Amino acid sequence: MKTKKIFVLFLTIILSFVALAGCSKPAEQPEDLSETTIMLDWAPNTNHTGLYVALEKGYFQAEGLDVSIVNPSSQGTLEQLVATGNVDFGISHQEQVTTARISGLPVVSLAALIQHNTSGFASLKSKNIRSAKDFENKVYGGWDLPSETAILTALMQKENLDFSKLEMVNIGESDQLVALERDIDLTWIFYGWTGIQAEQRNQELNMIWLKDVDPALDYYTPVLITSESMIEQKPDVIEKLMKAVSAGYEFAIANPEEAADILIKHAPESDPEMIKQSQLWLSPQYKAEADRWGEQKEVIWESYAQWLFENELVPEKMESAKAFTNEFLPKD
Amino acid sequence: MLKKGVTIKKIFHYTPAVVFLVILLSVWQFTVNKYGIPPWLLPSPMKVGQALWETKSLIWSHAQITLLEISTGFVLAIILGILVSTLMTLFPFAKRIFYPFLIFSQTVPLIAVAPLLILWLGYGLLPKIIIVILVCFFPIAVSLLEGLEVSDRDLLNLLRSMGATKWQIFYQVRWPHALPSLFAGLKIAATYSVMAAVIGEWLGASQGLGVYLTRSSNNFLTDRVFAGIITISALSFLYYAVIMLLTKLLLPWYSQLSQKTD
Repeated sequence: MKTKKIFVLFLTIILSFVALAGCSKPAEQPEDLSETTIMLDWAPNTNHTGLYVALEKGYFQAEGLDVSIVNPSSQGTLEQLVATGNVDFGISHQEQVTTARISGLPVVSLAALIQHNTSGFASLKSKNIRSAKDFENKVYGGWDLPSETAILTALMQKENLDFSKLEMVNIGESDQLVALERDIDLTWIFYGWTGIQAEQRNQELNMIWLKDVDPALDYYTPVLITSESMIEQKPDVIEKLMKAVSAGYEFAIANPEEAADILIKHAPESDPEMIKQSQLWLSPQYKAEADRWGEQKEVIWESYAQWLFENELVPEKMESAKAFTNEFLPKD
Repeated sequence: MLKKGVTIKKIFHYTPAVVFLVILLSVWQFTVNKYGIPPWLLPSPMKVGQALWETKSLIWSHAQITLLEISTGFVLAIILGILVSTLMTLFPFAKRIFYPFLIFSQTVPLIAVAPLLILWLGYGLLPKIIIVILVCFFPIAVSLLEGLEVSDRDLLNLLRSMGATKWQIFYQVRWPHALPSLFAGLKIAATYSVMAAVIGEWLGASQGLGVYLTRSSNNFLTDRVFAGIITISALSFLYYAVIMLLTKLLLPWYSQLSQKTD
């Protein structure tokens, strides 16, 4: 009898937990907004400012969109999630899109978030790693991305060095700057974010800018991508989203300080001072000399695809025309 | 005469499972072919087999590192587990001190601790070995502890009345009594150990099956991801089989008993 009572009490407690969990979802949502998701490539940073501006200033809502900006699941699977339609939009990079398309994933780039490649290989100044000549017998800390292997192999081959002499370590979620101090010699950073962070921490870095190494490496990174099926089935959603995102980035270009404050709100784990400095550095780079934000030139896509193929880093040359489109950028 | 009968019986026993496996693989192959599923989404079993074969030396070189991490961690976890449980049984005061920590070792979230270990200890083998120890320690220690707690009051009283010391009781009664529980705990720990090492590798490593998985996934080579998964499962099974074999050798009376009840 006692056992039965205890059992019933236990069951009641469990069931009430289940009921509470079920009730905690807020049902407050305006009926006329269509939901969509943008998955980031990394933790929120100044590459993403325009997205958060569009969110905060109601640009998405004005277009009838209820946008969720979500963190990535893990490096390298974002393109697969976009390709399968699990996520409508994602933040990727030209080198990832290229590899993905060669593997048959139907992803397409809609806009270049930054006109020129602001990334490069960073190392502590004290280690005196100035170019690929110094890469032998060093440790590179990255995320096991195919583009890392491709670019580093090509750079070392150009200097007649053996790529196998560069140890490749996957650093996962570790802080890159901390890793540089101790476990690794070299890593890949966006100067606008990690480089500014290093400046703030008084960490002196040597920066090998990718765009300086080879013109083919001045490619678009990051880019906003979607799947071919989204383009076929919901072009109107894409157009509306792009209008809002464009406006967001244009705002960030014109008002870096206010844009920084918006990002600070959405990246509470980061140092506000660092975000402000980063935004001031990056805002002019979003559009640079282009006519409109997000514009992509075929020659940029073609050069990188060609470079990869010529260096025998990929089995086939990607067809550039299918990999990107400007048709969803606002016409003005 | 008896041996032949036993072998045929064994083949007969496992045949339905093999047949089911063949049916499963055929359906998988058929579905991929019929619906034209892209290889980066779901590779056919043939492609997976191909990937396994083509990258077998690569898989092996990665597997060696993972095997080293697992074996070292597992052995250390066994030593630590036996030590701690023995101490806690012989000295009840030690049990009062350590039992809460024993429980705590299991409740600590691995996903949160592993990155910290990588942060403190770098990307070498040590943090992965510690992760394996963390995961394996609890099942081993707890099952041994339970086994050492002989609940037969009469037996203990009899021995005490004959003048047995604490140590003699431990050696003659508690330890043999505990062996079946210990081996049960070892089996559980063995199956956890492989995933522990792989998770450690995901968070920071240059070699290992976890690295093989990540690289294959990032290159959209899903057939290799499957090959990696099969290898990891095979490794887990290998460790489990080793424990089963040890059980048969060291506790023949126990393994025969459990076989008869099948």
